[in-house]
Amino acid sequence: MNWGQLAITVVTVVSILGVLTLVLNMQYGHAGMINFGVVAYFAVGAYAYVLVTQAPPSEASLDQYVIGLGLPPWAGLIGAALAGLVFAAITGWPTLRLRGEYLALTTFAFAEVFHSFIVNEQRFANGTRGLVGVPRPYRETLDFVDYDIVLAIGALVFLIVVYVIFERIVKSPYGRALEALRDDELALITSGKRSRRFRMEIFLFTAPFAGMAGAFYVWYTTLVIPDLFTAEVTFIVWIALVLGGEGSNRGALIGITLVTLFEELVRAIPFSTIRAAQVAAELEVAALGLLLIIFLRWQPFAAWTKAPKRVARS
Amino acid sequence: MGETGDTMRVVQLLVFGLGTGAFLLIATLGFALIRRVEGFLNIAHVELMSLAAFVTWYFNSSLGWHFLIAATIAVAITALVALVIARVIYDPIKHLGAPILLISSVGVAFLLHGITAAVVGVGIRSFEIPRLDAWRIGGVLVTPYRMVLLVLAAATSVGLALFLNKTRTGKSIRAMAINRELAGSRGINVVRTSRATWLVSGVLAGLGGVALGVLGTLTTDIAFQQILVILAVAIVAGLGSLYGVIAAAFIVAFAMDLSLLALPGGYRPVIAFAIVIVVLLIRPQGFAGSREEVTA
Repeated sequence: MNWGQLAITVVTVVSILGVLTLVLNMQYGHAGMINFGVVAYFAVGAYAYVLVTQAPPSEASLDQYVIGLGLPPWAGLIGAALAGLVFAAITGWPTLRLRGEYLALTTFAFAEVFHSFIVNEQRFANGTRGLVGVPRPYRETLDFVDYDIVLAIGALVFLIVVYVIFERIVKSPYGRALEALRDDELALITSGKRSRRFRMEIFLFTAPFAGMAGAFYVWYTTLVIPDLFTAEVTFIVWIALVLGGEGSNRGALIGITLVTLFEELVRAIPFSTIRAAQVAAELEVAALGLLLIIFLRWQPFAAWTKAPKRVARS
Repeated sequence: MGETGDTMRVVQLLVFGLGTGAFLLIATLGFALIRRVEGFLNIAHVELMSLAAFVTWYFNSSLGWHFLIAATIAVAITALVALVIARVIYDPIKHLGAPILLISSVGVAFLLHGITAAVVGVGIRSFEIPRLDAWRIGGVLVTPYRMVLLVLAAATSVGLALFLNKTRTGKSIRAMAINRELAGSRGINVVRTSRATWLVSGVLAGLGGVALGVLGTLTTDIAFQQILVILAVAIVAGLGSLYGVIAAAFIVAFAMDLSLLALPGGYRPVIAFAIVIVVLLIRPQGFAGSREEVTA
């Protein structure tokens, strides 16, 4: 096994999914909104990046997509962020006035519908075939170093930037108002804050980061296919957040690191037969489910990472 | 195609939708029952259906037993698994609230899915039941098995209504759904009643799984794909409402099947979702239920 390569992969994946976990932590851990469609904000970013940067469709190829703006990678990254923002606005408007499980259901449904759209709509991005061989940005200029390392460092820097921004927000008076939204909404409203507006603001503010994480993911995988963006991504991010203790950005990062390490180690095991590999892949799903159940019940890291709830005793 | 041709096509799709609605009715009843009595959305319900479908397939197609015997065994096993999961996983975290239970049920769904898929493996499976030709009634094709499902759905609904209204356990379940503490203080054995609820829900999931296999071929992913539609039915009905499910199942089924007139089949779940959005915008509590718990 190539430990160096494994380490680079883990750093890259942890950084990309770490941003998603931080976004979910802001939405659920701090503002109390259950978003069960995290993958959709990630996926729109990835697809937007490809649509903005890919060459316009040519008659000669087998491609069926109709949009290709052929712009440089930085424009693609902005496009990914904007796509996340627009999708958050569209999905947030009807859903954010809903509570708890209703919000969970509608966000989940929006994500499933987006997935169904990218599967069925050939003209959008070739449907299930997807778009493969997406060029990595500045590949030629950087050919004197291992591109995987550059990407890992880039993703890590992105994660750190997002972490610092989110920490600043959490520590600010605005962040305390968010925690009130989660812990005691009535108290928040009574003190003259508009809770629905807070929800929308945090939803719109965090979604572009999920979109940009989608663009980083495209650089890592060099392809976009619907199979990469299933509900499993949402649930992995949820498992990570619950594992580290929701409400703590540090906990979120610990959680996603443990989950990614687990997944990549399972993936790195060599299997002699295809059947054995399939069984291992399915058992990995089962193990993730079991982890989620166990960590929700006992919350082993919560005492260390989680801030106490600020609720007046009644 | 003339005007009569179009009408025939609509009638054909409506007849087809009856079967879809029957399946959705069976599949959603157990889900709605748990939401009503235990107070949370059990996402793992669809994986219990998957379990039932594959246990039936194992006894029926692999061991060659009669379909009805295999289905009965599968329903019984599913009910027991539902009860065990409730006691081992859900009961100890009940005090943490509905959102945590909901997220846990996703974990349970993963767990069940992973185990089922690891054991069964990839590939398309189907039950060993006689292939019956469709009946042609006045130019409309009627698939016999879809009509069998309709009868099964009717029997299930009536059976559940009788159970909840006429039996002691059923009445206890209803009392507990309205006010758990009050029911307990009035001498209802809350723990026993909760277990009975899980068994009933498990039986309904089992029937749903068997129905899924009767409707078409099986893969290990097929049950999970139904969750969105089941959620749509439950929301249209009003979460926790049982009688609302009967109407909602057919509304969603007809809407999805009639959409085939204008859209490719892959968009059926999108239709279910569009209904959800409209319902949540206009009447988020569904047919029944109070508005306060829904919106902020």
